[in-house]
Amino acid sequence: MSELALFLVRIGFVAVLWVFILSLLSVIRADLYGRRVISRIARQNAPQLTAGSAASLGIDDSGVFEPTQIAVLTGRTAGTNISLEGKKEVLIGRAPSSDMVISDEFASSMHAKLVLVGQDWVLQDLNSTNGTHLDGKKITTPVTIKAGMTIRIGTTTFELRS
Amino acid sequence: MSNVSLTSAIPLLLKAVPRSRNFEAVLLFWVAGIHAFALSQIQLAVNQVMSWDMLLYWAPPTVSAWILHYVLRKYALNADGLLLPLAFLLNGLGIAMIYRLDLAEITRGGTDLFAERQVWLSCFAMLIAAVVVRLIPNPLTLRRFPYLAGAGAVILLMLPAAPVIGRTVNGATLWVGIGELSFQPGEIAKILLAIFFAGYLVSRKGPLSEIGSRVLGMKIPGAKDLGPVLLFWVASIGVLVIQRDLGTSILYFGLFLVMIYTATGRAFYVGIGMVMMITGALVASRLFEYVGSRFESWLNPLSQENYTAAGGSYQLVQGLFGMAHGDVIGSGLGSGFPQLIPLAESDFIFAALGEELGLAGVFAILAVYLLIVYRGLRVANTHQDEFSKLLALGLAFVIGLQVFIVCGGVMGLLPLTGLTTPFLAAGGSSLLANWSIIGLLLIMSDSSLKRVSA
Repeated sequence: MSELALFLVRIGFVAVLWVFILSLLSVIRADLYGRRVISRIARQNAPQLTAGSAASLGIDDSGVFEPTQIAVLTGRTAGTNISLEGKKEVLIGRAPSSDMVISDEFASSMHAKLVLVGQDWVLQDLNSTNGTHLDGKKITTPVTIKAGMTIRIGTTTFELRS
Repeated sequence: MSNVSLTSAIPLLLKAVPRSRNFEAVLLFWVAGIHAFALSQIQLAVNQVMSWDMLLYWAPPTVSAWILHYVLRKYALNADGLLLPLAFLLNGLGIAMIYRLDLAEITRGGTDLFAERQVWLSCFAMLIAAVVVRLIPNPLTLRRFPYLAGAGAVILLMLPAAPVIGRTVNGATLWVGIGELSFQPGEIAKILLAIFFAGYLVSRKGPLSEIGSRVLGMKIPGAKDLGPVLLFWVASIGVLVIQRDLGTSILYFGLFLVMIYTATGRAFYVGIGMVMMITGALVASRLFEYVGSRFESWLNPLSQENYTAAGGSYQLVQGLFGMAHGDVIGSGLGSGFPQLIPLAESDFIFAALGEELGLAGVFAILAVYLLIVYRGLRVANTHQDEFSKLLALGLAFVIGLQVFIVCGGVMGLLPLTGLTTPFLAAGGSSLLANWSIIGLLLIMSDSSLKRVSA
């Protein structure tokens, strides 16, 4: 090959590497500056799009649910309340160090936890042996708690109340 | 079809196939193209003709990467889309450089060839990453056995010092070997250590971050809570004494410091830890002749005495000459003299790439590492579970720190150590460990996006 061709190939390879890296910046930009916001005009033209996305994100327009306490409905500690004021995380389990101790042979020592994400409390199962049930269904992924939902761990059931 | 129904269909389509997976597929095509470019450039420059031999070095890793992509589509649909192509890019560049050194070795009449082995080890490591993705769908599973992971790491670190199987190569006791097979257990130990630290710190976070008295604006933890820091400092010094390798010791202690700092938010731990580590390293350089000679070669690489001494700075200086020859845009793949650097295919692959791709190419490689670490930190940032957060942070950081120690060593900015360049250097244990890290980061990035699904 001629000198010039070799030179071009030599430059070319490094250039291709850099084009590859710079093209990834399009993805990273979304991390730094957030998702692109839909303009008002586009929103007016496509009302279904916004309505659909609000519903899929679980946003309830009929008033925000801000629970302040956990009310235990059944189980050994039935009738007691645990305050949520000022808490960001509630660890639930049989271990004495848990925020909410459940003395139940079907509960694991670190069974589940409630985490405050923005305004919402999210329930997450911590790989417990017998599972955490929300409204009768066993949960596998973290789930946002809404008003009136009942959580069951072993024989203990409780709900969040405002 | 009206405009409205089309726009309302878009979110559904996006939900069915996440953008990250399709983007990953496009990037994999691109990376495979870059690898083909590198291999053909090498063949043209060294042999003046292109041959089908190239397929042996190109096809198997590409197929393995696509298998991993398929597994992700099936079991971790929402996983990060950049990690796999980025790691695959580095792995393929490493194979290309090792192949280029093999061609030089053949011209020289030698028989020490590494490229073919590296190809099959890369395939194996990528398939292990696929197995990790398939078998560990939930990272919380790992939280169940922190102490088991910790004990496993300690045993792995002790293995090289064991009587029959332990091996000492170039003064550092980092290897175990049975017959022809050899293995660097420290590479796997770093993953187990990250799992142990994450599990331990999640449960001990409270006492470690809150107890203590305030002195000079810093909260000083109570003596009881300094215990683990002291214990682990002693352990890292133990590693330094047993393995006689400063890099491994710094890597593990750095991992520990970053994880305890992230878990507790106390700069005090980092401050005291760094003072302890530097003191330990300085004392070790006085006490152990081997570590001391590395320090001496680092401080005065160009002195005639160090250059000619056995185990002196000859290798380092050859690497520096090579990189200087590479200049800004490099000599071009296949047109430099990286074969003149001892161990160019493993310890000094960064210098070999520096010579043939130049400063611009080396920056590109470092940018790829930066992106891998950044994606890992992003997983840590977005994940909801504290254990996964800490684990992702630890794993991403350990890759970054290892690159820093190795590249710093090769460039003469830090003392040279026995660590490997992740994904690039020839060696199975390193590939296996780093691809497993990618597998773990991928599954954690998948579960980090599963949060608000009511």
